[in-house]
Amino acid sequence: MTNLFVRKATGLVRSWSVFDAFVYALFSINLITLGLYSFSQMYYFGGGLIPALIVSALFIFFEVVVYAALIAVMPRSGGDYVWQSRILGGAVGFILAVTGWWFILWLWVPLYGDMFRHIVLVPLLGVLGARDLALWFAGTNNGSFVAALITLTIVSIFIALGMKTYARIQKFSFYGGMLGLFIVITLLLTGSPEAFRAGFDANATSMFGAQPGVYEATATLGTGAGAALPLVGGGLGLIFLTLPYLVFFNLWPNWGATLYGEVRGATDFKRNIAGMGSALLVTTLLGMLLLYAIGRTIGWDFYVQSGAAWWNYAWGFTTEAPAFPVWPYPALFASFLTSSRVLQFIVIALMSLWWFGWSGTVFLSSTRVIFAAAFDRLLPEKVAEVDERTGTPIYALLMMVLPSIVVSYLFSYNIANFRSLTLASTLVIAVTYLGTTIAAIVLPYVKPDLYNASPIAKYKILGIPLITVAGLIFGGFLVFLLYQWILDPNALYGIGYSINEAGYKNGTSIIYMLANYALAALIYFGFKSYRKRSGIDLDKVHSEIPVE
Amino acid sequence: MTKLFFATDIHGSDICWIKFLNAGKFYEADVLILGGDMTGKAVVPVVHQGGKNYRMTLLEQSFNITTDEELQDMTKRVRSRGYYPYLTTPDEISELEKNPERVSEIFNQEVLKVVQQWMELADKKLEGTSLKVYCSPGNDDMDQVDDIIRSSRRVVLVEGQVTPLDSHHEMVASGWSNRTPWDTHREEDEDQLEVRYEAMMSQLKDPRNAVFNIHVPPYKSGLDEAPELDKDLRPVLAGQSLKPVGSTALRKVIEKYQPLLSLHGHIHEGRGSTRIGKTLCINPGSMYEQGTLLGAIVKLGSNKIENYVLTSG
Repeated sequence: MTNLFVRKATGLVRSWSVFDAFVYALFSINLITLGLYSFSQMYYFGGGLIPALIVSALFIFFEVVVYAALIAVMPRSGGDYVWQSRILGGAVGFILAVTGWWFILWLWVPLYGDMFRHIVLVPLLGVLGARDLALWFAGTNNGSFVAALITLTIVSIFIALGMKTYARIQKFSFYGGMLGLFIVITLLLTGSPEAFRAGFDANATSMFGAQPGVYEATATLGTGAGAALPLVGGGLGLIFLTLPYLVFFNLWPNWGATLYGEVRGATDFKRNIAGMGSALLVTTLLGMLLLYAIGRTIGWDFYVQSGAAWWNYAWGFTTEAPAFPVWPYPALFASFLTSSRVLQFIVIALMSLWWFGWSGTVFLSSTRVIFAAAFDRLLPEKVAEVDERTGTPIYALLMMVLPSIVVSYLFSYNIANFRSLTLASTLVIAVTYLGTTIAAIVLPYVKPDLYNASPIAKYKILGIPLITVAGLIFGGFLVFLLYQWILDPNALYGIGYSINEAGYKNGTSIIYMLANYALAALIYFGFKSYRKRSGIDLDKVHSEIPVE
Repeated sequence: MTKLFFATDIHGSDICWIKFLNAGKFYEADVLILGGDMTGKAVVPVVHQGGKNYRMTLLEQSFNITTDEELQDMTKRVRSRGYYPYLTTPDEISELEKNPERVSEIFNQEVLKVVQQWMELADKKLEGTSLKVYCSPGNDDMDQVDDIIRSSRRVVLVEGQVTPLDSHHEMVASGWSNRTPWDTHREEDEDQLEVRYEAMMSQLKDPRNAVFNIHVPPYKSGLDEAPELDKDLRPVLAGQSLKPVGSTALRKVIEKYQPLLSLHGHIHEGRGSTRIGKTLCINPGSMYEQGTLLGAIVKLGSNKIENYVLTSG
């Protein structure tokens, strides 16, 4: 029976493709960039990586439900900023949105740059025979800083090209990157530990000038550095303690979700869950497969040891340089299983697409938040200006690029131990997510009319709205993560003020994060006061007009 | 100087219309301008099952209604999203499924009934106030809407006209847009649009102090970014791919006349403000389905905009 008569009217579109949503979410929880980068740093944890992947995915699925539900109630509204502003108030919404979607991205730039040099520049230069340049990028502070500057240039170009072009770059990168990953996994599953060891020794020497016996030396250095991370097992407690590090990789399936279109019913709500949830599932399964393949041929112990040898030196815990002088990149390791330089180049080039298809996300979200703040008169009008000739948001871009250069400099040269701030990049966004999650939990109770008129009103668990239940589970997970990061009772994460006597009390990290929040509060209350003096009451313009 | 409140694209939402009428007092505005697309997009059949029992489906959720109170509550819920509830029978539904022309008639009937109710409400609520209310239907609004607005004592139809806002500022208004994939009521080719715009703008005494109230936003203004669609009207790349869909003719006339202010709608997700030369262009966007009235308050000065802000009410 007919449920609805719809006429021809502007904006009545069909549902977007779940596959496209899947691709975007898959890039946001990027196995090759974020995943391999964090796996290599987690060498000292005791919880098995594969069970940790599964447990984290279970919790993050509730994040998917929370965001899909909020999109169903308030679609295309601007995401966290609008959700929090309308439910928790303007100050909370602004402060958490600009810190989580703008300021903290300054810190992500050197991290994107670090992944760029390790995943794209160094292996490509190595395969192409430019050994000195590869080693300069891999092992020097100048190389790190220049990689960050190149990253800034590339992502600025992506912004100038616009979303339409970048979305196509992403789609191309998805297919190319998947092909590359297929080749890598095939190489690893068809190779043998003996062939890898021989290939590693030969290529490390010929490509990067490592000394003979580099395999053995790397294993020894890694063991000395405390390589411990198991592939499986480790006990539930240790697995849970692994999660606050692992979520650097997979906390983001919702990254592009706020753009998903109008939700006209339960089907579209389910499509949102399907898009993000399938990306989470496929990434988790691919991660497990890749880790298994690594363990089978590279050898799990050697993989963890190589990461330990690299980061122990990079973080300044030892002065002994790693015997293998570049970051232990599994795709590069897989390419060592072939002697064909052409095939090696193809593998590395295809795998580079995982970075190119993902890197634009660092500024795209930020420019949206800057624009939204300017439209709300919480920033000068000028920052939302777009250059007429190129279509580039020059000032918004500068507000990303200039601070990012400063932070990249501090990170690359490890000034005030800035390299220890890696996980702070995740903590600040998790705080923003917590704000959104609290908004989701209380939504049915503080905005009942809005909630009851939405397509998710019928979903309940034991009489409690699904959005509240999912929010409580994901919110509980976030509180656990924040407790571990900030108070660090087991001295594992190094970005908070550890209550463990042996733990790190990271003043730089705490000051940096608090400075982010202080700056956001200063902007909000400063502009609010300034606008009030010029006749605009920002509280009023965001208050609901009475319906009477 | 005049303080105006502008909102647009409320698409049949009763809540947004009431908020719009209350916005003058709430924001202390002198003038209210509704930018077009007043009418809703869907009719929801509420099917009689005998006695006080009805069945309806809203947002893919089925509801069985058994009391008058429930019927009233569900009607309100349907209207809050800008849809039109239509009381019917299973036999009529079967007939309507075979007769699209009759569906169209019902659509028009329900839409126009609500517009009539809105005008009556405006006349009642604004009685005794000095507030001016201007309205120019948009490309989604059928022609008959104009006659109903004309019948209002307090809401002034300004389509195609030059309207003085105060002693310094005049407004031109049009709800016509460039071509859309939906073949809507008021759309035409860019060259025809240019002729339409020129016919109004050439009558302005002082174009640089004028207000353009044109439903469609100017091309490549950032206010016209909409999800790219494939041939089946499906957003490509999960809606991540945005493209400008505004009017090139409008951009041309804005660049030529350089009015003080240019007000737009049409693209609900295009909320923002920008400058084209000296002209401040605003699209407040629309969240009518959530009952939120997005808008803009603009204080007009002599030869300048004194102040402006986008609102979320």
